[in-house]
Order: sequence, then C-alpha cells, then structure tokens
Amino acid sequence: MSYPESKPDPKPQQPVNATDLDEEDDLDDLDDLDEEEIEDDDAFIEPERPKSRTAEERAREEKVKMASLVRRMQSGAVSLRVHDVIIKGNNKTKDYIIEAEVEALKNASTIQDLLRVSSAVNMRLQALEVFDSVAIRLDSGPPELPDTTNVIIEVVETANPLSGEIGAYTKAEARSYTVEGSLKYKNLFGYGDIWDGSLKYGCDHSAEVSAGVSLPRFKGLVTPLTARAYLLSQDWLKFSSYKERSLGLSLGLFSSSHHDLTYNLAWRNLTDPSQLSSKTIRRQLGHNLLSSLKYTFKIDRRNSSLRPTRGYSFVSTTQIGGFSPDSRSLRFLRQEFDLRYAIPLGFYRAALNLGVSAGVILPWGDGFLSRPSSIPERFFLGGNTSPLCTLGGPTTLWGFKTRGLGLTEPRRQINDENADPPERDYLGGDLAVSALADLSFDLPFSWLREKGIHAHVFANAGNVAKLTENEYRNFSMRKFMESIRGSVGVGLVIPTSLFRMELNYCHILKKNDYDRAKSGIWLTFSAPS
Amino acid sequence: MEQSQEREELTLVARKPCFDLPTACPICLPVYIYLKLARIPFTLEFNSIYPDSDQIPYVEYGAYVAYNNENDGVIERLKHDGVVDLDSEFQSVPEWLSAKAMISSWLANAITYELWLGSDASVAYKIYYSDLPWPIRKFLFLKQLYSVKQRLGITKDNAQWREEQIYKRAKMAYDALSTRLGEQDFLFENRPSHLDALFLGHALFTLQALPETSVLRSKLLEHDNIVRYAGKLKMEFLEANSSSSAPQPHSFPSSSAPRRQTSNWSSKPKSKPKREKTEEEKKFKWRSKYFLAAQGLAVLLFLSVMGYGSAEVELEGDDEGFNYD
Repeated sequence: MSYPESKPDPKPQQPVNATDLDEEDDLDDLDDLDEEEIEDDDAFIEPERPKSRTAEERAREEKVKMASLVRRMQSGAVSLRVHDVIIKGNNKTKDYIIEAEVEALKNASTIQDLLRVSSAVNMRLQALEVFDSVAIRLDSGPPELPDTTNVIIEVVETANPLSGEIGAYTKAEARSYTVEGSLKYKNLFGYGDIWDGSLKYGCDHSAEVSAGVSLPRFKGLVTPLTARAYLLSQDWLKFSSYKERSLGLSLGLFSSSHHDLTYNLAWRNLTDPSQLSSKTIRRQLGHNLLSSLKYTFKIDRRNSSLRPTRGYSFVSTTQIGGFSPDSRSLRFLRQEFDLRYAIPLGFYRAALNLGVSAGVILPWGDGFLSRPSSIPERFFLGGNTSPLCTLGGPTTLWGFKTRGLGLTEPRRQINDENADPPERDYLGGDLAVSALADLSFDLPFSWLREKGIHAHVFANAGNVAKLTENEYRNFSMRKFMESIRGSVGVGLVIPTSLFRMELNYCHILKKNDYDRAKSGIWLTFSAPS
Repeated sequence: MEQSQEREELTLVARKPCFDLPTACPICLPVYIYLKLARIPFTLEFNSIYPDSDQIPYVEYGAYVAYNNENDGVIERLKHDGVVDLDSEFQSVPEWLSAKAMISSWLANAITYELWLGSDASVAYKIYYSDLPWPIRKFLFLKQLYSVKQRLGITKDNAQWREEQIYKRAKMAYDALSTRLGEQDFLFENRPSHLDALFLGHALFTLQALPETSVLRSKLLEHDNIVRYAGKLKMEFLEANSSSSAPQPHSFPSSSAPRRQTSNWSSKPKSKPKREKTEEEKKFKWRSKYFLAAQGLAVLLFLSVMGYGSAEVELEGDDEGFNYD
C-alpha cells in the first residue's frame, strides 16, 4: 500500500480529539492530515456543552480546530516530541526489524518534522515488501508529559507471502536484454527475509537459474545483506567457440544509492563441444575458481534513463579477482568508467547526449604481463542493445553485432577439400574505449509525442586492444586511434513499459576486415540499467 | 600435408610433467613417445586446468588440430591425415594388431585401475588435480573416481574378482610381450611403431609413477628385458639431445610442476635429465679434446721418428689446455 498523498477522513463521524498542546489554544484537529490521526481522550479541554449537541455542531467544531491547527503550522513550528513508538500488527515480523526503520521518528521535535519523517518511514517499511499496508498514527502522550505524542505504527503483514513476477532488464555485465521470471517467498522466518528463485534468459544466449535471500537487517550491518546462489550458462559458441558454465555464490555486502560492494565466488568451466576453437580459446578451456570483489560507484542525475534530456551520470566499476588463500584462483584487476552528459537544447524536447566509456583488464601476480587475461572477463564491443541505455562501461556500438568488434583468430581447420575457409573466433580485448553522441528530438506529430515516440541522430566510435602476453610492447596510441571503428545513423525510438525499442538506420564509417558490422536497418531492444 | 614444413610448428598439448616423466598422464605419454620415435621436432605445452577433458592430448600446427577423442586417438588421426605414420607396414600384420589391442585394452585397464583404485590415488591427484583450487579438484577427483568404477564395471560385489582379473590379464600381457620382445630393441621388426609408443609409455609410467607397493609395478619388474627395453628407449629417444625444444608451461593459469624424485627402477642411479645432459656435454668435450691431443701427439711422433728434427708444430686446442691422462 503506497503512502497516499491525501485521502478523505475515513471516519467523518468520529469525535475529534487532539493532544493538549496549550491550554489557552484551541485543541487541534488533525484528522484531515493524510492518514495520521491524533487521539487523546483525556487532554481535550472544552467548555461544557449540552450533551445533546448535534452532529453538525460537532463537525463545525472540528473544522474550527483544524483551521486553527493549520494556521499555527503555517505560522511556525509546532513543538511536539515523540514519547514512545508503539508497533502493532506484527505477529511474525520481529520488532527490531521495524524498530530499525523507525528510529528517526524519535528525533522529531515538531509536528512538521514528524509528518515528514513519518512519510519517509512509511516508504521504508513498504520497501521491505513484507507488509500489505502500513499506517502511522499519532496518539497523545502521557497526561503528565505535555507536548508529547505516541506514534503508533500499525502494519498488516502480507497475507500471501508467495508472489511472482516477470520482467525485462538490461545488465551491464550481460551486455544484452534479459527476460526474467521469479518467484518470491516473503518473511519466512520473520526477519523481513525475502527468498526468491528466478529463471533468466538473455538475448546473448545465456540462461541462469538462481536462488537467493535478502535480509534487510543482519546483525549490526547498516545496509541489507543479500546472498544468491546461481547456475549460469552462456553459449558463446557462435562468436568465440566456447561455452561458459558457472556455479557460484554472490554476496551483496553493502548497497546504497551510490555505492555497491559485492563478493562473488564461482566455479567456472569453459568447454568447446564443437572442437573448432582457435588456439587462444583452446588454451583457456578448463576449470577456474573465481573469487572476486566488485565495487561500483554510481551517480545518475539524469532525468530519465530511457530518454535522458538533462543531467549527468558517472559509473566506476572496480573488480579484483583472486581474493582467495588459494593462489590458483583467477587473478585479475578490471576497471571500467562510464561518463554521460545530457544537454537540453530547448526545442522539441531535444537533447544532446554525450558519453565516453573505457575499461581495462590485467592479470596480477608474477609475470602478469606475459600471461593472458581471462577470456570471459575481457571487453567485447558489439550487441543488440542501445549504447545510450547501457550504463556501466564500453559494451555496444550501433551497427556492430554481438562481439563483432575486436581481435580475431582463425578457428580450427577441418581437413576437407570441400570445407569453407575456417571462421574466426572473437577474442575481445584488454583495453576498450567507446564514445557516443546522440541527438534526440520529438517529431512534429502530437500522436507520436503523446506516446513518447521520438527520433534521434547518433554517432559512435570504439576500439579494443590487447595488452597482455607482452603485447603492450607493440601498443601505441597512434595505432590505437588509427584503428578506431565508427558508425553514424538515424532512427526512431519507441519506448514501451518494458523496454526501449529503436528502429535505426546505421552506416558504418570504419571497420576492420573481420569485424561483424553492417550498414542497414537495425532493431535494438534495451531496458534501463 | 608436407611434413618437412609443418614439423617445426608442431605442438603437443598434454598434462603436466611429474615423476621425472615429460608428461605424467598415461594417455598423453604414448603420444609424446610416438612423436619422439618418429624424430619429429615439436613443442610441448601443458594444460593443467582441464583434467576431465577427453580432448587432451592434442596435436596442433597452424589451424590444424588432432584431438584425442577423434578417430581412435591422436596417433591414428595423425596417421590418417598423413602427418606422421610409423605403422604403414604393420597394419595388416595380425600379431601386431592383436598386440596393440592387448596393450590398448588389458594394459590400459590395468593402468587405470592401479592409478585410481589400486593405491590411495595420490598419484592421480598429483598428475591431474594439483594445479586446481581445492573445492574444484576435490569434486572433480570424486567424479572421476566414480566414472572409472563405472567404466571398469567394478561394484562392491565384484571388486575383488575384478581386481584379480585385471592383474591376471596384465601379467599375461607382460609375459606375451616379454616373449615377443626378447632381446630386440623394438617389438616388431626391430623398428619403432605405434606399439612401442604404447608399451613404452605404459612401462615408463608403471615403473616411475606408481609407488613401490604397486602390484602392477612388481609384476612388470619380473621381466628384466622389458625393464631394459624401457630404460634403453628412454635414454635414446626421450633423454638424448633431440631437435624438439624443452617443455615450456603455457597453459592458463601457467604452472610448472616440480619434478619429484622417484625410486630407482633400473641399475642406473636416477638423476634429473638436466644434470645428465650437462655431464654428457662435458664428457663429449673432454673426449674431443683428448682425440685432438692424441692426433697432435701422433703427428709429433711421426715427424720425430721420420727425422724432421726441430720442426715446430702448433697444436690448436682450447685455451683450457689438454689433459693427457
């Protein structure tokens, strides 16, 4: 139940009661103030009236009191302290779960403060997802303590703890559009715990089965703790001649609006059932233990992630692999940056979006520069999602197919006279850079504007390079810049409730011989990330 | 395919070296030996993170790859593709074929049993799993243990009987091959073939990798000619100066397993190949200096005997001088 901005008095016939703030002042009637009520059976002082006063007279009195209260609140702060917070309705949920969320109420010193904090507390309790409704009421404090109130929090625990949902997402790691179905069981043990199982299927030929638990409060931790066990399978046979299967555990250690810290422990297996892989892929087939810590810093001040017209965003992701006493786990350092800026142009809701992103991965340990980096951790540019919507690092370029840009190597040659020349494996790179510029604007048709359908003109460029296995000695910025690929285009953007669809015409300005890119009509699907 | 051109690029990817063997895996070792018998130069690389792969060992050069799970194995694939073939005249010889079948079945089963079930499997652990992190290697090891039992048809009820059968067949194979070998250098027509690669690989693994308490090892040691055969071919083909480069770990993550000193199985004292190579080189140098010194002395004697008096003869030799002992 959302926190309503306003609602009519649920019990218009209820006698008006109020806290005794000041004997000289009329007692205030707060029934009309959102869902909060102030009740005080004892402190109400009124002149003696005939018992048989009519309902109309009582209603008139309440209106007078309310007007008086509102005048007082408008003229200045109305002092009020919270004496006690009483929680009702939680038969299963532990008290401390709710108490931790309502701590701020005790510090309120005025009615205005109390209303503001109550609103925030209500939203936080709703966000736990274990209550069907949350109501916060103000009751009078003890008669010997004037200017105090007792806050009563009435929760209704969810009647049906089992729920399901289907959604569409775009994740920076997946580099593609993912459809996910999940089942959730809420508050199994009364700790606000949410258990869920999910199935995901991605357009990048990935499938994942996972189960997880989320705890809003775990001992002394400030932020929620999440744990997730997953079995992930990704099929890259078509692009890089390998299949990836991971069995792992992911722990969300810290999460706030700007910071996110997760630990991932996974057993990963790369196989090549086709037995056609190139030499570089062959050398990396096998089992690996991934034990990594990932820190993400994110600021997103854009007004929209689907059609940003104002604001900026910055994401930095640092991942360190090798957090394990066993030196045989995968050791690498991966860093990504992504900076976006949207400039409103003031006509037809036009905006210019600029973005630049970069990433690098290097193994660490003895002789790290002579060792290859792990293939799944490398940077691959290309895909069927819009670069404008994928925030987090260099991932896609308009006009380039999945993993279609970068270093390649010939696959195994079949000893057959009639066989076609061997295809190539896309190996990704250790260093990737991409940049984009997108001008979006409304079309001069009201029907399209109403639906949010608009047009855009775009240009982007990107490149990847290899640094490991001593290739850094051959790296030069001049060669890197000379080999940058790029594309331009124009298109129509159709936003829906689930995703953003783009129908674009892309023209490839520059590509290398083996890049998988084409000029022509492209259809992309993106979900906000 | 032209062998002369591609031989220099040939790479054999096998499991890690151990127990003083260039590759300690009993499936990879015969392939290594076969290339050595054929005197083909090749580079040896290792994969130590994929112990459950049936693709390994594999041979590659350029874009060509011969996997072990295709065409009856790497060696057959190399023969089929014309890369290297030592068996062109043996394919129709019944005794050769039956000996090969015996080694590929009875002796292969015996090695598999001894490696995984005969002892505490520490040897298998060291060869296949020592370079993997703990949780992975533990699980893969147990999985492989189960798979081996399935493959050999061993259950709780027939374990004893099956063990006896495996050892009995191994003994019969050793007797037959020992008789076949006699005092020859090779098993058939005194020249190397696929059969020698298979049997030599089996013998070297049994003698060097299996512990001294191994039943299979003790049965093999009963045949002196087989032990001599293994020692001789090892010296001649595996440890002699060859055109192949030294093994270099290249797998990801890279690993270079330390070589463990195993117990002696021949009359020669066991020492690391690196040390023997250096001693041989020293020996060769000393012999060459001795030869030159002897030649010089002979010339001097001739001249003095023939009465050319005080002719000065310059002896060209190393600055280190000669030892006339």
